[in-house]
Amino acid sequence: VRCQLSPPQRPLQASAVLRRVSDEQKKEPLASSSQQQFSSHPTDHQPEQEPQGPRPSYTGQGGQESEDYESEEQLQHRILTAALEFVPEHGWTAEAIAEGAKTLGLSVAAAGMFHSDGSELILHFVSQCNTKLSELLEQEQKLVQLGEAEKKPTDQFLRDAVEARLRMLIPYIEKWPQALSILLLPHNIPSSLNLLTSMIDDIWHYAGDQSTDFNWYTRRAVLTGIYNTTELVMMQDSSPDFEDTWRFLENRVADAKNMGNTANQVQSTGEALVQGLMGAAVTVSNAETSRAVR
Amino acid sequence: LPAGGVSLRLCSTRVALEGINKPVIDRIIRVDHAGEYGANRIYAGQMAVLGRSSVGPVIRQMWNQEKDHLKKFDELMVAYRVRPTVLLPFWNVAGFVLGAGSALLGKKGAMACTVAVEESISDHYNSQIRTLMEEDPEKYKELLQVF
Repeated sequence: VRCQLSPPQRPLQASAVLRRVSDEQKKEPLASSSQQQFSSHPTDHQPEQEPQGPRPSYTGQGGQESEDYESEEQLQHRILTAALEFVPEHGWTAEAIAEGAKTLGLSVAAAGMFHSDGSELILHFVSQCNTKLSELLEQEQKLVQLGEAEKKPTDQFLRDAVEARLRMLIPYIEKWPQALSILLLPHNIPSSLNLLTSMIDDIWHYAGDQSTDFNWYTRRAVLTGIYNTTELVMMQDSSPDFEDTWRFLENRVADAKNMGNTANQVQSTGEALVQGLMGAAVTVSNAETSRAVR
Repeated sequence: LPAGGVSLRLCSTRVALEGINKPVIDRIIRVDHAGEYGANRIYAGQMAVLGRSSVGPVIRQMWNQEKDHLKKFDELMVAYRVRPTVLLPFWNVAGFVLGAGSALLGKKGAMACTVAVEESISDHYNSQIRTLMEEDPEKYKELLQVF
C-alpha cells in the first residue's frame, strides 16, 4: 500500500471535505476521509464500480493505489478552468467560479478559496493563454526546422503571434475590459506584469531574437507597446472579425520596423560623418605639419 | 538527454531548461557577461591611449582574448535565455573611462589595472564554480567546462 502523503503539498483536506459535502448531496457512499482513498481492502473494490467524483482512479489486485490525490493547486486550476465557461455570462466573478465548481461536482463553497474580485480567475486565464501561445509557436518552429514550412520574416512573425494571442480573448471580449482593470490593481500588478513580460519574451525568442545588448530591452519594450495598444483597440473594435484591429497591428509593426531602419540609417550616417570629419582633420594637420617643416 | 541533465548544443538557440536552477544560472551568466563586456571596454580604453606605444600589441592581444570570452558568454546567454544586464550602457562608458584613465597613468598603470581586474574576475569565477559544484556537478557539467 503506497502512502501518498508528502508534507510540502497539502494533501487534500479541503477537497475531501468539499467532495464529501457534494457526495452527501448525491447520497453516494463516502470515500474514507484520509488520503488513502482505496485502502487495504482491494478485494472489496468492485471493478464495475464507477470512480466517484471527477477524478479517475484505479485499484489493482495487489492493493496498489493510484496517484489519485492531487494538490490543492491542481484542484484550484481545475476549478478555474471549469469556471471560464461561465465568464461570458457572469463576468470574472465569484459566481463564475461557483458555477465552475458545481460542474466539477464540488460545492459552491469552493469559490471561497479565491479572492472575491476574480483576480485568480483572470490570472489563470492569462497564464493558460500564454501557455497555448508558447505551444503554438513551438509547433511552428518544429515545422520550420523540419523544412515543412517557410521561415516567416520577423514583422510577419510578430504580427501573427500577437494576433493569435489576442484572438484567444474573443470569446471573453465583452468582459475583458473588466479583467484589464482588475489586472491593474496594485496587488495584481507583479503577477500580471510577470505574465506579460514572459509572454513578450517568448514571442521574441521564437522570432529568433538573439540580441545580447541593449537591443534586448528595446525590442521587448517596443513589442509590449504594440501588444498593449492593439489590445485596447480590440476592446473598441466592432468591425467584422476585428479586421480593423489587425490592420492597426500591421501598421504598428511596420512603424516599429521603420524606426529600426531609420535608427540604423541615422547611425551609419552619423558614423560616415564622423569619419569624414576625422579624415578632414588629419588632412589639415598633415598639411600644417608639412608646411611647418618647409 | 540524460535525466535532469542539460545539453548545450551551440548551433541551436536553446538548451533544455528543465532541471536547472534557473535564477542562479541567470544571475551567473548575466554577471559574467557584464564582466566580460566591461573588460572589453577597459581594453578598448587602454588601446585608445596606449595603442601606438610599445605595449600596444600586448594590449591588443589581451583584448582579443576578452573578445573571445565575450562571444562565448553571448552564446550562453542565448542558449539559456538569460536577459543581459540593464546597466550595459553604463559599463560601456565606465569600462572605457577606467581603461583610458589607467593608461594615462602610463604603461605600469595600465598593467596594474589589468592585473587587478583579472584577479578579481578569477576570484569571482572560482566562487561561481563552487556554487555550481555544491548544487550538482553533474547537472552543470557543461557550464562548468566553460569556466
